[in-house]
Amino acid sequence: MDAFDLDAAWRLHPQVSVRPERFGALLYHFGTRRLSFVKSRELFAVVTALDSQPTARAACAQAGVDAADLPGYARALGTLAASRMICERTAA
Amino acid sequence: MSDTATELLDPPAEEADADTAAETDDVIAADLLVEEISIDGMCGVY
Repeated sequence: MDAFDLDAAWRLHPQVSVRPERFGALLYHFGTRRLSFVKSRELFAVVTALDSQPTARAACAQAGVDAADLPGYARALGTLAASRMICERTAA
Repeated sequence: MSDTATELLDPPAEEADADTAAETDDVIAADLLVEEISIDGMCGVY
């Protein structure tokens, strides 16, 4: 898995349905039929902020992620990117 | 065999262990944050 680019623009994949839960959220990809458990409310906040923020790093900042925790969140976002739950946002 | 000879043969592993531990912590943290499963083929799933 390539290193996740925190300084790129990302978005939730259009085929992904999100179900908020007390522990975080469930993400279901209708194309791949994969289910992802987002086991942190903070990570869920990051994922939902991706579309409105210029970079994943900005989304993490908006969600209140500490700089020290960024590497862990980058790896988690990389996992979601690898399973196509999130995808890079191209300029319109 | 003397204790000194044993000490000389033992490689310094503290730095490598610290790096490995930090990397393991990141991997563990990522695994704790996201868990993925495939429900394809499960009963009742269409």
